Amino acid sequence: MEINHSDTRQVSFHGEGSKLFGIYIVNLLLMLFTFGLYYPWAKAAVLRYIYQETEFEGSRFAFHGTGKEMFKGFIKAVGIFLVIYAILILAVWSQNNVILSLGMLTFYAAILLLIPVAIHGALKYRMSRTSWRGIHFGYRGELKEFVQEFVIGGLLTIATLGIYSFWFTVKLRKYIFGHLRFGNIGFAYNGDGTEYFKLHVKGYFLSLITLGVYFFWYVKDLFAFFIDNLEMNQEGNVLKFRSTATAGGYFKLIAGNLLIIIFTLGLAAPWATVRTINFIFSNIVIEGALDTDKIQQTEMDYRDATGEDISDMIDIGLI
Amino acid sequence: MQAFDILYYDGKTSVSHQASLVLERDHWLIQFDQEFEKQTVRWDITQVERDMSFTSLFIFRYGDFPRETLECKDENLLTELKRLYPEKAFFEKKFNALLRQNTTVLVGLTLGLIGILLVSYFYVLPWFSEKAAEQIPVKTEIALGETMFENMISHYQKNDSLTARVNDFVKEIDFKTNYPIKVTVVREDDMNAFALPGGNIIVFDKILGKMKSADELAALLAHEVSHVHYRHSLKNIFRSLSGYLIISLLFNDINGITAILADNSNMLLNLNYSRKLETEADEKAVEILKANGLNLNGLVQLFTLLGSEASKAATIKLLSTHPLTTERIAYAKKVSSQQNAPVKNENIEKKWRAIEAERIK
Ligand SMILES: [Zn+2]
Repeated sequence: MEINHSDTRQVSFHGEGSKLFGIYIVNLLLMLFTFGLYYPWAKAAVLRYIYQETEFEGSRFAFHGTGKEMFKGFIKAVGIFLVIYAILILAVWSQNNVILSLGMLTFYAAILLLIPVAIHGALKYRMSRTSWRGIHFGYRGELKEFVQEFVIGGLLTIATLGIYSFWFTVKLRKYIFGHLRFGNIGFAYNGDGTEYFKLHVKGYFLSLITLGVYFFWYVKDLFAFFIDNLEMNQEGNVLKFRSTATAGGYFKLIAGNLLIIIFTLGLAAPWATVRTINFIFSNIVIEGALDTDKIQQTEMDYRDATGEDISDMIDIGLI
Repeated sequence: MQAFDILYYDGKTSVSHQASLVLERDHWLIQFDQEFEKQTVRWDITQVERDMSFTSLFIFRYGDFPRETLECKDENLLTELKRLYPEKAFFEKKFNALLRQNTTVLVGLTLGLIGILLVSYFYVLPWFSEKAAEQIPVKTEIALGETMFENMISHYQKNDSLTARVNDFVKEIDFKTNYPIKVTVVREDDMNAFALPGGNIIVFDKILGKMKSADELAALLAHEVSHVHYRHSLKNIFRSLSGYLIISLLFNDINGITAILADNSNMLLNLNYSRKLETEADEKAVEILKANGLNLNGLVQLFTLLGSEASKAATIKLLSTHPLTTERIAYAKKVSSQQNAPVKNENIEKKWRAIEAERIK
């Protein structure tokens, strides 16, 4: 039995730019020769690599998704997008104002519906395919509930000319993390919409006043708002997440990545990616008592997740 | 029988067991201590699968979900697996084989890829976008050009009286095109003129002010109309768009920074394309001028005017929309010398004098 009572823990990343570069190059070649159809396999390879190099308490994470599984979602997504864009293009072509407005309406309604479906599918798929020490993550959100929340929030955001978006974002995070599982460990997000709004107002105006210098404090605050409000719960034992990112750290990250990308014309992008992942993980501390031996496998609906992913086309950037 | 040190996870809890692995002909034996008792797990060889791995860690999974997992760091395991189960493919994946090649192969692949990309960018893409541009119906092209024109013209100050005079001038010449030609003169301290898809031509008043003859203006207009006629602007737009699309697709994962970068590099690369189109437009312009009985010396005057202005400017304009080379002047001189000086067309001259009178104001 190993009960680790040490108070703080971190996730660490061991990936190397050169290895990621190799994967990118092979991916690019294969995508080129398959006219892009290789994309799902390329994506699976990158995810597998990144997960394999991510370590927590001495064990690596694993991504179990396969190109074949993702290919189905990819084809679905391409089909759906073709249909949606075909409607829009036909409406524009008709040069009839009634048809045009109807077409636009259908287009935006479809997008508004598709985003939550994509987020839900991607979460469900990605989480079920993520494991650590053989224990799988899981997302237990209900599609109907989530779409409902998303559409209501989206319409409110439009009606308030975007002001509601801050409360909306926080609400979505609460829903998503509230339904996230890692075995018998649950998650929660405790952010407050008003606080998030204030943070953005402050960040926006101070960035303007300081001619952008404040921007690095702004992104640091946003990151902290995301991380500090996260918690994990293992059978009543609460673990808190804490951000240690600083404005200076963000400056180094962003400036460095810019230089790397500009001077290599984008070729060294994998090194920038590695720097970013390193930065994120090294600035998250998990506090509280965790029994790393007592995590139980709970997510048994592994198979159900297949084919639920229309994700990706609207890339929501989950790592 | 050799035993390997491994870590074993039973798929039910996150407990990490220090275990030993023994390979048998048709099964694997995993042994570890749990609560002071020896435990043995048997893996049937047919259900063992290996994770596609990019690290030096070997990971094997077993059975149905929730799967048992085994991790091993010992390199000898691989040789042992190859020896014992030569018919099993689970320890080699094609992708991995590609990656495990030495650096020379990887560098070669990279260079090859860059080569393919360059070739497609400079040869395949222009051809493809040209074909795509040709598919656009004229009606759509005119509508598109009109939208672009509305957008553009709001950034300039229009000179209404000169615009009217120049359009009168245009009516006197047969430009040999079905596109409706509409010239707009704007106030701008720059020697330039450009053509939009569908027939709109924007002329800066500075270049108009420096012209000395009706033939010179006719040469400029004939050149711009040729751009319209051959759909050069449309082809250029298609090319930039597709180039932009490809570049942003390639560097998909790196957010907006590259997008900006891609956009600029794309503009730089377009220069090459433009030169070819300029030559095509020049040739068509000569045809138009000849057919209208206009003096080709106007073309020589035009290029000399643009050339003198370019050398006067202290900074070299990298992205000039009308790259001027000595070859172009030489070409104009050559075709001009082959022409017998035509009789001046009185109607055209009259319209030209109206422009001259207007621009003095
Ligand atoms: Zn030109």
